[in-house]
Amino acid sequence: MAMSSPLWVAPTFLSRPSSNISRSITYKRCRSSASNFFSQSDMEQPLMKGQKLMEFPHLTAAHKDLMVSLISALETRLDSHLLASSVVPPDVEFYQNDQGTSQGSLHIRRGLPSSHIDFVLASWLHLKVPTGSAMNITNLQAYLKSSTDVPHFQFELVQCSPTYFILFLDITPRKDLVLYPNYLKTFYEEAQLETLRQRLEQVPETKPYLSSSLYFRGVVSPTGILVSIKCEEVGGTDRCEEIIREHVSPIAHDVMVIWLEKYFSGATVGVTERAELEKRDLLVKTRAIEMDLSSSLPLQFGQEVANRVLSVIKGVLGV
Amino acid sequence: MAVNHLCQWQYLRFQLSHPSAPACRYLSPSRSKSSTSSTAKVNCSAAPSSSPMDSHNEGRKKFMEFPYASGPVRQLMVDLVSTVENTLDSQLLPCTLPPDVQYYENQNGTAQASLQIRSGLKSSLIDFILGSWVHSELPTGAALNITSLSAYLNSSTDAPNLLIELIQSSPSSLVLILDLSPRKDLVLHPDYLQTFYESTRLDEYRQMLEKVPEVRPYFSSSLYLRCVISPSAIMVRVDTETETGAGESTRLDYIITNHVHPVAKQVIGIWLNQCAYLEKRDGLIKNKTIEIDLGSSFPRLFGPQVASRVLGEIQKVFTA
Repeated sequence: MAMSSPLWVAPTFLSRPSSNISRSITYKRCRSSASNFFSQSDMEQPLMKGQKLMEFPHLTAAHKDLMVSLISALETRLDSHLLASSVVPPDVEFYQNDQGTSQGSLHIRRGLPSSHIDFVLASWLHLKVPTGSAMNITNLQAYLKSSTDVPHFQFELVQCSPTYFILFLDITPRKDLVLYPNYLKTFYEEAQLETLRQRLEQVPETKPYLSSSLYFRGVVSPTGILVSIKCEEVGGTDRCEEIIREHVSPIAHDVMVIWLEKYFSGATVGVTERAELEKRDLLVKTRAIEMDLSSSLPLQFGQEVANRVLSVIKGVLGV
Repeated sequence: MAVNHLCQWQYLRFQLSHPSAPACRYLSPSRSKSSTSSTAKVNCSAAPSSSPMDSHNEGRKKFMEFPYASGPVRQLMVDLVSTVENTLDSQLLPCTLPPDVQYYENQNGTAQASLQIRSGLKSSLIDFILGSWVHSELPTGAALNITSLSAYLNSSTDAPNLLIELIQSSPSSLVLILDLSPRKDLVLHPDYLQTFYESTRLDEYRQMLEKVPEVRPYFSSSLYLRCVISPSAIMVRVDTETETGAGESTRLDYIITNHVHPVAKQVIGIWLNQCAYLEKRDGLIKNKTIEIDLGSSFPRLFGPQVASRVLGEIQKVFTA
């Protein structure tokens, strides 16, 4: 599961210590800077209204539009299933490193006790990398409770450079698809997911991307979209914008629509099945935290901020 | 299209071990067709005048000819099949499929297939090994050739199965599937992933092939097959430029000989070591004991007939 960090999908250079960031960062509390932006009532925000999140300050126009529209669409459809406000405290809602060169924003809305939604998470990360350029990672995911076996919704778009992106878009299975061919049939064969994957495949600048994590490869569904988008020609930046606007955005919306359909028609499962789903979900979540965040966050933001952010995430994930 | 054949073949293969095999049956021998094979075709209406051993040999010979494969593909398959069989030989029974299932054709002689299934001994880890090739003339004038080797382990182990499949529908392109397919849910069992995939560094072989410019990932039209294979599976298309001048060694030939063949050999080696290893070690020790202790002295003391009979009986006990 891809969280607010790129290690599932992006090149693993983030796991190498950055020479720009010293280990003994003295961190200034983010709470004080956050309070400049938010009044008391503003601190409880649905994702859409979370200012810092929805500003997406470092993204290209097409990338920002995509995130805003995707999050708005998801929140609108799921609004009645979610608690009104984000569970994230202000100093995790927005955080940055000492120099302010790396920043992050995190918003999480939990599902109502009566709904099958565990939480909806949206985030962005802006990371200064050793070469001097910056990386932007945006995430949107809807994670479900073990009361249903409907797949989780995952979207991650990483800008490694203005002409190189990595996209992960999938509804990830909750069961082993070889052991449960009916599950494969219900959620993947009978949906139009493969058609959507092939549609994106037609775009010449896209290429399948293989994560360096074998475990993650096993988490992705058979129709999961995991591609790199490289526009090396002259005018590559514009071409990337075009691809995001004309191809990635509509396909992401279409996948979301399919997922929403599955979600709303998903049945409640029995007790034995619940236990199995919980076990499997827990393994994936734990692995994601271990691989994705536990090493990269401290490296980029220092131990103090990382701990704060991680404890919120771990709390919501229940790991 | 080649893909659809692949999917059908995956599901058909298990039905084929039945004596009442599917619709494909024999032609009478009077039918002429271009074939590089010089062995007699077995007619389904012929009475089984040959012993089971003969039909096994006949079927096996036909299989190992790979008459429709290109040179490099034939060499690859013969090498891989031989390696697997030589390593596991003492654990495998001969193929007992009826002759008309070991080799069959369709009504108008435009498609031929060969099939070999060898079951493992009960004491072994092998359930069975399956080798096959299918040749089918296409309406376009081209031909489809599917060549495969797979090995299935039984319930006394949870080690991965082996799968190799080459699908070729033109002289310049090829689909290759090469995998150690997991027998457990890898998400639930990260230790299994570690044992068989991470510590064996299988992915490095996939990466080697990935570097060849004409190689790119292949997405099977069967979603199920996409799930069966492991995260480090080699599932690729090799698309080369169409070359004129038939008969000369092509770029595809080069890639198969110099890239595919060595990688496939390595992957098979990993599978044999991980899966056949334990059993093989035991087998080796037992065999050695008989040969050293008795093999040389028995015939001298009792004569060859008695010796081989006794040795044979001991052998049975050891392998029971």
